Amino acid sequence: MRNRASNTLSKGKIRQSWSKYNLYNLQRFRSPPTASRTFFQQKWTAKALARAYHGEQVREGQWKRMFSRRIRSVVPMNTLDLAKDDGSETSAGRGSGLKTAEDPSPSRRVPYTNMAFAPLERRLDVAIFRALFASSARQARQFVIHGAVTVNGQKMRHPSYLLNPGDLFQVDPERVMFATGAPKTRFERRETRQLKQKDQKEDNDEAEAEPEQEAKEAKEESIEKKDENVKDTLKALISQAKTIMSKDKSVLPAKRKQELRGFQKRVRAVLSRSATSTVLTDSLEAQFSELTLALKAKRAEPAPKEGKKSTKEQPSEQEAAAASQTENTGDKLSEAFQKAVEGEEVDTSELSDEEFDVLRRALTQMRDNPIDHSKPYSTPWCPRDYMSAFAFIPRYLEVNQNICAAVYLRHPVARPGLAEVPSPFGETVSTPAYGWYLKRRW
Amino acid sequence: MPPRVQSRRVSSILLPYLAPSSASIQPSSCPSQILSRQFSATSAPQTKLRREMFAWLNTEGAALKDHVPGETNYLPNPRNFNETNLKPFPHNDNFISESILSEELRNEIYTRVVKKKRSVRAVSVELGVEMKRIAAVVRLVELEQRQRAQGKPLALPYARAVHEMVPTTRLAEKGERQAWHEPINDLPAHPATGAQIFYPVPESRSFTRVDAGRVFSAAPALENERREAISHPSDLAEDVLNKKPGAIEMVGKGDNAREVLLPADARIPHPHLVKMELDRIAFPEERRQIVERNVKRIARQDEIEKSRREKAEAWRERSIRHIEPEGGRFDFRFQNVEFSKQTTGANGRSHKAPGRRYGVPNQSHKRGVTKIPTRVEA
Repeated sequence: MRNRASNTLSKGKIRQSWSKYNLYNLQRFRSPPTASRTFFQQKWTAKALARAYHGEQVREGQWKRMFSRRIRSVVPMNTLDLAKDDGSETSAGRGSGLKTAEDPSPSRRVPYTNMAFAPLERRLDVAIFRALFASSARQARQFVIHGAVTVNGQKMRHPSYLLNPGDLFQVDPERVMFATGAPKTRFERRETRQLKQKDQKEDNDEAEAEPEQEAKEAKEESIEKKDENVKDTLKALISQAKTIMSKDKSVLPAKRKQELRGFQKRVRAVLSRSATSTVLTDSLEAQFSELTLALKAKRAEPAPKEGKKSTKEQPSEQEAAAASQTENTGDKLSEAFQKAVEGEEVDTSELSDEEFDVLRRALTQMRDNPIDHSKPYSTPWCPRDYMSAFAFIPRYLEVNQNICAAVYLRHPVARPGLAEVPSPFGETVSTPAYGWYLKRRW
Repeated sequence: MPPRVQSRRVSSILLPYLAPSSASIQPSSCPSQILSRQFSATSAPQTKLRREMFAWLNTEGAALKDHVPGETNYLPNPRNFNETNLKPFPHNDNFISESILSEELRNEIYTRVVKKKRSVRAVSVELGVEMKRIAAVVRLVELEQRQRAQGKPLALPYARAVHEMVPTTRLAEKGERQAWHEPINDLPAHPATGAQIFYPVPESRSFTRVDAGRVFSAAPALENERREAISHPSDLAEDVLNKKPGAIEMVGKGDNAREVLLPADARIPHPHLVKMELDRIAFPEERRQIVERNVKRIARQDEIEKSRREKAEAWRERSIRHIEPEGGRFDFRFQNVEFSKQTTGANGRSHKAPGRRYGVPNQSHKRGVTKIPTRVEA
């Protein structure tokens, strides 16, 4: 199918995409004018706008067959109200209840017409896009066609597969990281090229390549093992620093190089000391995992931080501090390392939160988010630009981002004041569009 | 070549490890390329729209480029600035970015259901999470553990970034009350309730939800004895659960036969909560007994549902014949295909029955009929 879903500025259509063009179009969108336009014209425009976003990859005839004028909705019930009144109070008097002194707050309207395109949300490609596994519905479609998606554990190659409630779909995590990650920089692309050339050379004389690869694999395995040694991690850290030094000579400024060298030295110093005490490393790792949990909880917490022990700064301030004190962090890091390794127990009170944070971040991220030029995205992975402006996950999906899998729980529903179908258009567009697709047109 | 917005990612590779995941980009103003060739005779290939777009992206849009952990970063809504912005689409007030389960809450659900062997219904009421979602979470966490054990690649940095961008429901700390993730007692709107019906009732008669359901499904009014037997509409929920004969009445004949619409008390996912509220109103002092009774009610309902599920499973198993050839690796399953009046219809031409029959065209080649799989067995 030819891709007509370009993000042109002149047309200003809104698409299911995270591109910056789309963001700009979304930002400058205004509801179409209704004055001095016939009802037919209004419906036509509304339908054209809505269809450019909702299932643009679906042919019009196909969508017309999918359209259903019946819209799923739910009413959240209050059990206390149900217990208090068996319905006779509501129907008392002339059928609408006896008037009380003060009327209850008016119930919010159910936005039925915002659900006009709900059947399209069942499609596999759209669901993948909604689960934030692809940066556009078109890309999600490509993932499906290229065989990177499984439904209930079986490969599914039809983007138009309609998910049933309870279906579990999973996308290859590598593809998701590629789709959502920042693209490579010029330097990284060159690194990749050099890596490829090197690989080709090594293919020619295989005798050299094999042991290295084995060592690499062994390292990776050791990293992935649950009961991994901290020592291994530190060693990997050193080796990585080395590779950075060797590879990015032309890229890195001199000052950074100095920092790197210092960092390498410090880690080596810690390593030599920890060689004597092997038992402690386990507890250190346990401490790290605990800390990770604790810090995650802290981050998830909204702004007020009561009842918590010493959290010195807000996260944003911490960032600023981390950015400004890059030179000092090295010393702090080494101190933290030493304390953690030498002391029998690592007290949280002894070390400041900041230090621990830096230490933990450096180590855990090193393990989770390594530098790897063979990947098709910029490493260490970071989200692509403008991703946050489009990041939301509707309630009809339950997503596990770690394994890039999601369950389609149920069909999207409307409830008072809320429609679950994500749509950039308000009722000024969705209502005439819904009317357009009715058998008996308005 | 039109000017591109330069990627200003930090080239240092160690720095991202020492800084939070988001703060990897340093803002810096790139000198406009238009200025650099102001003496050029050729007109700039930049259109007005493009110029405006990049102008916007460099000023107002710059804030949208990167996220602040723990905050949403959607397009600013011109109508409200003060509150936290939960509307990703400024023109659609009816769509909000609803919170997702945090990692800890997800793991808590898993431990409660799998390790502590609590029922899904009980956990749903405790944490305020839909029962379907709980089942899905258990499934997903199990899958994650399996993949970790197998050493398959995970998308950990991606998961971290998403949880930083999207609002999350966090797990309450000890002593704190768990905030509900979502409404758990959603009543699906039945299509029969869509009609507007004028139904005159004497003012002296109490017209309850049970009666309203009967009116909507065009069933005759209840007799007085039966009406008096129902003290509250939630009694019907009990009857349905116990499979009391006649609990679900039918109206209509033949193909038009349909169930009489039950009151909301019987159709919500957690009918026992209504009973608990009734208990609370009747016996406001006996707090502990109320809780105990509710626990018992949940246990009973779970038991009944479990036995029903097992029965259905056993029935399905009985209808399938398994054949495993010795030494082979396959398990052939044969299901009886029925070719009877029920499937072929009264005139023998219904398309539901298997096989080719004279005068019954094959539906699968028609336009608009789905030709790709409609379901994937788990």
